[in-house]
This record gives sequence, C-alpha cells and structure tokens, in this order.
Amino acid sequence: MNCTRRNFLIGGSTTLFLSGYFPKISFASMQKKNLIIISLRGGMDGLTAVPVIGDKRLKKLRKKLILEDVLNLNSDFGLHPKLEIFHKLWQKNQAAFVHATNIPYTGRSHFDGQNLMETGAHIPYKEKTGWLGRGLLASNIIGKGLAISLPMPLLLRGVPQNNNFFPSPDFVETKLIDQIYNEFKGEHNELIKSTLDTIRQRPLSMQIATDSDDRKKLALEAAKQLKDQSGPRVAVFDLDGFDTHAAQGGVDGAHADELEEVNKIVTILHENLGQAFDNTLILTLTEFGRTIKQNGGYGTEHGYGSAILIAGGLLKKSQVYTDWPGLKKKELFEGRDLNSTIDSRAVYNSAMSVCFNQDPEFLRKEVFWGDELPDLSQELFKI
Amino acid sequence: MSLSFYRRVAFGLSPNEKPDKDPLNWAINQLDTIPDLLWPGTIPTEKGLRKKYGEWVYGDREVLRKKFKNDKHAYRKAKDELRIKTGERYYELNEHAIRHFQTKYSKQPVFERFWLFWGNHFAISEKDFLAEFSTGPYQREIIRPNMVKTFEEMVQSVTTSWCMIHHLDNSESFGPNSKKGMEWGETINENHARELLELHTVSPNAGYTQEDVIQLAYIMTGWAHKWDRKNLETGDIWFDQEMHQKGDKIVLGVKYKNDAKRELAKVIHDLATHPICIKFVSTKLCRHFITDEPTEEMINPVIEAWNKYNGSLIEIHKAVITQAYKYNEITHKFHPPEIWLMQLSRMFDLNIPLSFEKMNYTFKSKPNNRQRQLSWILREIGHSPYRAKQPNGWSDLEVDWVSPELLLRRFWFASVELPMLVKSGNRSHGFILSCLKNNFEDHKNMASLIDNFRFGTSDYDLGQKYGVICNLPGVLKI
Repeated sequence: MNCTRRNFLIGGSTTLFLSGYFPKISFASMQKKNLIIISLRGGMDGLTAVPVIGDKRLKKLRKKLILEDVLNLNSDFGLHPKLEIFHKLWQKNQAAFVHATNIPYTGRSHFDGQNLMETGAHIPYKEKTGWLGRGLLASNIIGKGLAISLPMPLLLRGVPQNNNFFPSPDFVETKLIDQIYNEFKGEHNELIKSTLDTIRQRPLSMQIATDSDDRKKLALEAAKQLKDQSGPRVAVFDLDGFDTHAAQGGVDGAHADELEEVNKIVTILHENLGQAFDNTLILTLTEFGRTIKQNGGYGTEHGYGSAILIAGGLLKKSQVYTDWPGLKKKELFEGRDLNSTIDSRAVYNSAMSVCFNQDPEFLRKEVFWGDELPDLSQELFKI
Repeated sequence: MSLSFYRRVAFGLSPNEKPDKDPLNWAINQLDTIPDLLWPGTIPTEKGLRKKYGEWVYGDREVLRKKFKNDKHAYRKAKDELRIKTGERYYELNEHAIRHFQTKYSKQPVFERFWLFWGNHFAISEKDFLAEFSTGPYQREIIRPNMVKTFEEMVQSVTTSWCMIHHLDNSESFGPNSKKGMEWGETINENHARELLELHTVSPNAGYTQEDVIQLAYIMTGWAHKWDRKNLETGDIWFDQEMHQKGDKIVLGVKYKNDAKRELAKVIHDLATHPICIKFVSTKLCRHFITDEPTEEMINPVIEAWNKYNGSLIEIHKAVITQAYKYNEITHKFHPPEIWLMQLSRMFDLNIPLSFEKMNYTFKSKPNNRQRQLSWILREIGHSPYRAKQPNGWSDLEVDWVSPELLLRRFWFASVELPMLVKSGNRSHGFILSCLKNNFEDHKNMASLIDNFRFGTSDYDLGQKYGVICNLPGVLKI
C-alpha cells in the first residue's frame, strides 16, 4: 500500500471515474498519521522504567535501586511512578511497552551505540543517514520531518527539506527576514532561498522566540504542527542524561528525573494533539540498557537489553510485548545484562509501515538492507 | 581579482588592513612558517590539561560517586564544586578564546584557515570530557606543528596522540593472540583502525574490506594509554607489547611482517602516500576552499603538487591557494557558522574574544557570563568547534548548514547579539561603510540597504544594520 496523500489523490480520482466507488480504506489512509520518536541518550534502564515484579534476583542485585511503589500494569510488570501518563493511557489501550529489546549492538559505547540507534546499521559511523530519513524517502514523504533540535539529527537525515524548531534566545524581526530574502537571487542561491521560503511560510507560532531549554514549550509547538493536516508527519525529540552511573536511585533518583522528562513531553503531546493523538505513535529510542547489578556508586553501568515506551492511538492494545529472557545469571547477556530478544529495529520498521502506509517488507529492504526483522504491526499496532 | 578572495582563503580584511597588490602572493607567502599563538593569556600544555582531566574523572568516579551514593542532591553539589576546581567548566572557553584571537589577529590568516581545516579533518568529536580538556590543546600541539611537515608525519602524530587514541578507543583494543588478550579473553576494538582508513587516509574509495579493517586493527593493538589507579585513562601513550597481536598482517594487499611497534609507521606510510588517499584529501581541500563539488580540473594540480613534493603540506597548501585564486570569480562557497563569525569579527573589529585579563579564572566559582559568551554564541549558531557529533567532523557542504533554524540563528546573532560586541569607537555609520568598502566590491549597494539607519548608533539601530549586511548573499556565501 504505497499511498502518500498526493499519490492517493491522483490514484483516487481514477478509481472514482472507473468504478464510481470510493473505497473506504482510502479515507483512512488520507488521515494523516504521525510518528514521533524521542531519543533517550545515555542508555535508558528498561528495568527501572518497566520493572519486573517479584524477581528475587533483581531485588538482591539492586538493593538500593528498587522502587518502593510501582504503578500496576499486569501480574509480571509494573511501571515507574514518574511515567504517569503512560499508566493513564494504558487504561485506554493507548500505551504499550516492548521489553528486553535493543538494537543489535553489544559494544557498550555511547557514541557507537547512539550512532547505530540512529543509522540502524551494524557498523558504527558507516552509514551517514538515519533509518527514519531513509524510511521517509522510501515512502516518498518529503519535507514532512520536524526536528526539535538545532542540528538536523542523524536519525532524520537522508530525506531533503526537513524543518526544525529550536528557536533562538530572541525574536528575529519578520521585516529583517523579508529584506534579506529579497536580496537572494540566482541559481547558486536557490537552497538558501527555498529555506527562507520555509521560514517565511511558518505559522506565527513558530516565528516567536522561546526558551529552547524549556522542553514544554517545544513540545507544545510540535503538537500544534503535528495536529495540522498539512503539517509535519514525523517529529524527533532529543533527551539526554540517562547515563546514571551514580545515585540512580528509585522513585526519586537520577534516572527517575529523566523519566519525568519523557513523561512531560508525552503528556503535552497527548493533551495538545487532541483527536490527532488517535492517529499518532510515539516511541522511545535508546542505545542500550543498563547492568542488572548496581555498582559501587548505587548507579548502573552500560548494558544491553532495554525497553521501548510506546504511546498513541495507533496501538492495538495495552500490553508488555516481550519474549522475556529471565534474569538468572546464565540468562543474562555476558552474565551481567538483560538480554535483548527482540531487535528493536523490527518495532521501528513496523511503526513506520503503519504511519507511512507502507509495506513493512518493502521498508525492511529499503531501510534496513533486508535484515531479518519480523513484522510486528499485527501484534502491536492498529492496521 | 575581487575582494572576496580575502574571505575565501582567510577571514576578510580588518579595518587596518588594505588589499594587497598581488593577492595570490600575499596568500602563498603565509604558508611557510607556523605563526606564534598570539593569545596573551594562559595557554596551558596538553599534558597539563590531561592531568586536570585525570583529576576530574578520578574525583568524580572514584571519590564522589562512592561518597554520595545515597544522596543525589549532595552528589550533584559536590560534583559542581569539582567542576570548578578542576577547570572542567573553564578550559574549553579559554581554548575558544585562543582560537578566535588567533583568527582575528594573525598576520598569517591563510595559515589559520588551514589550521581549522586539518583540525576538522582529524576531528575529535564530542566524547567523554575531551572537549572540556583535551581537544583544544590537541589542535595546538598535534595539528599545528605538523602543518609545515608532510601529510604522512601529520597522520603519524595524530594516530599516536592521546586525544585521538582515547577518542577512538584504541586503548581498549587487544590482539586476541597477545599476552593480555589471551589472559583476559579480550579482542580488538576496530574503531580507530576503521577511521584511520575511512576518514583520515584512503576513504572507502579504496575498496578496503572488513578483513582489512581487522588486520589494521591488529597492527594498531598495543598503542594505548598507560593506566594507573590515580590517573586512570589519562596516562601517556606508549606501545604495550603485551597487547599487540603477534604474526604478519595484510592490509590492502600489502604484507606487514611481525615487527611490533614498527608496523604502525610502515602501514601509515603506505596509507598516507596511497594515490586514493591523495585524491581523497586533495578533494576535501578543494571542497573547503573552492566549492562543494570541485571538478577534476580543480583538484588535479593539487594532486600533482602532492606527488611532486612528496606530501609536503606547505607545497600542497600553496597549490590549493593557487587553485582557489584561479577559480575565485567563477565558483561559490558557503561558509559554516564559525568561519562566518570569525570573518565578521575580523572585518568589523568586534569585541570577541574577551580580553585575556577578563578571561582570567580563579577556579573558585563558575566562569561568568562574559567569559562564557563566545562559547555560548558558537553553540547558539550551531557550530561549537570541538564538539562535532561524529568523528567525521563538521560538514563542509552548504546543504548541511542551511536549515531554517540554523539560518535564523545567524539573523538573530547579527541583529541582536552583535551590536553589543561593537567597540565604542566603532559605532558610527561611517565605520560600517569603511569596513564594507574594504571588503566588498558592491559596498555601495550594501550601504543603500541600511541607509535608513545612517544616523542611528543605538544597539537597536546597529542591529538593524548588521542584521541585514551580515546575512546578505555575498556575505553568507562567496
């Protein structure tokens, strides 16, 4: 089903003419679907976000990191109390978690890991484009990416004309932009000129200065843009600080502070997307999980398996989707980390296929070099 | 020859510089010697800063994390104090000041442009605390002295520098059949070997295979930092025979006999003189100085000079400048934000960097806003030089620098921040006009765009004027 909005309109009218019949499914695919990725840099601890309940070994190894009160998900898993919005959405079948998952990277370097989580490749720094950018390009969705950061994140590279929103500390007068715009002439200035066009066509709300350190304001603006039928279809947020080697803590520790940031962003997106939330998927992305055992500083070291937090109306149901590997010593990766039993790229590939109305098999080949990534859209998403 | 040449190969002309009668000679004569660093303030040594790096990581990792394991607030507070005491918050600011003072006042600005180029070719990307302590001195002590030697010598120095070895993890690379590799069950980390091939020398155009990467990584095993309990990973680089993979190695079809530490110099010689390496690096040089997509015609004379003078960087630089001169009138080049800022600073004599007296630091409290200003501006315009995101450094392509926010940030800087950097004696309209005249043929047209504000000298008026002229097509791009 290769059907971007533009293609549909062309194809659709032919169908209409030939058969006098407008298939209902095409109305559904006309509805814009949003895909939002929140990068969690530093290594998000899946066992803190979505703790396994009643595991004696975990309790023993993480004496100082155990959460006293967790939000209830099911008989096996709880949820970190700072992730309130996910719990609320869970009741409405609009939150789910994939657990014991990671990109296929076991090297434990932030830099290599972050590079790979964005490129989706196997060898660090080998690819210069991101899986999301390639997915958009393969789906012929151009100029619909919005990065909530100053540089274009690697994740979105590979497709042209992305927008970004990360306003300067002060307002730039429209009159100044216009005056400069008028001076750009000639073929060699075309790229700048078309970018100035993008700037001049921005809605008023994107023209104002705001505090780019205030993630709430950025999320609010992103929600506004995503809600617009002709606005962006993809947004990328960037959070860091998950590398908690010390004082990781439980309910109020350093890791909890970072989860609270995720919670804030998702809360604002949920509140402000309104109806559009029904046609949205929000997924987190991280380079690796953390060690099972707490270290000497009551923190954790770089590990392997982690979890993906997912919210949005395009979820099939609330669930913890996992092939749980267990936490006994021999079940751990290299005897120390939660194993990864699901290649997280399969989740992202399936999410793209749903949001971009694209065959997952096609995307797997175009974006992930035909790597063996099972289609999980049936299990996880509404299709 | 148009005045844009002074921006193409340098930073434009300052108010007290005049165009030279022979611009090509003017430029070429700047490349034979290494100009002294002019910064009158502190210029710490690489080794000295590495010691500070060690104090910081030891203090945090070995002391504070354990002491405050139950109290995240107390831990954060103690960590902040340690940042101040070890200069973790300060040294990068000082390095930016050294760098920008140099590009503003150097009598050999063309040399300085090559300094920026090589520092970015052999980039140290954002990792651990390299930007805070080590990338600046690496630029001064590893890159700079090699700029009058050969490319091969530059690669040798870079590859065995503490900064690059730490950046690309070579200290964690063990020959699987080495003494330590066998004892500890460790193996290679290919990172450094891959980048030495891909980014620093032959590029993927050479068609090397994964096996070549592995074999080169074997050759590189043993080049590592010394480690002890107090300095942790900040000890000097040495060759640890007990980490080195035994046996012969083959890279790109060439056999390197088992020869311990001497293997590396041999393979670097072959890589740095490989025709594909010469073409790759010559192309990058032309891309930096001429245009994003240089033609063979533009590149070939640089390759010829490279071959004729056996990789002498002085001669290679001269060939690049000759080509830049030849194509100045018919090619366009977009400058990334930091070079643009350096040009504005030199052409309009802006108050950056801060004076060395005011940069003076006591290690007792956080650096003040003025001391942080230049680094803050660099971050806000999207080009913090020692914090490239990846080991391939900052892009040299217009397409990577033209995003809506990145352009708006320049408009913001020129119209809001820049007026506060104009020296009190330079606020008159006449001053702007004379700077424009010194640097742009179409200065009259530029002046007409700001004529409405000719009587204004307030920050607002200056913002209206600089906001426009700093972002005109001929300023963003030559």
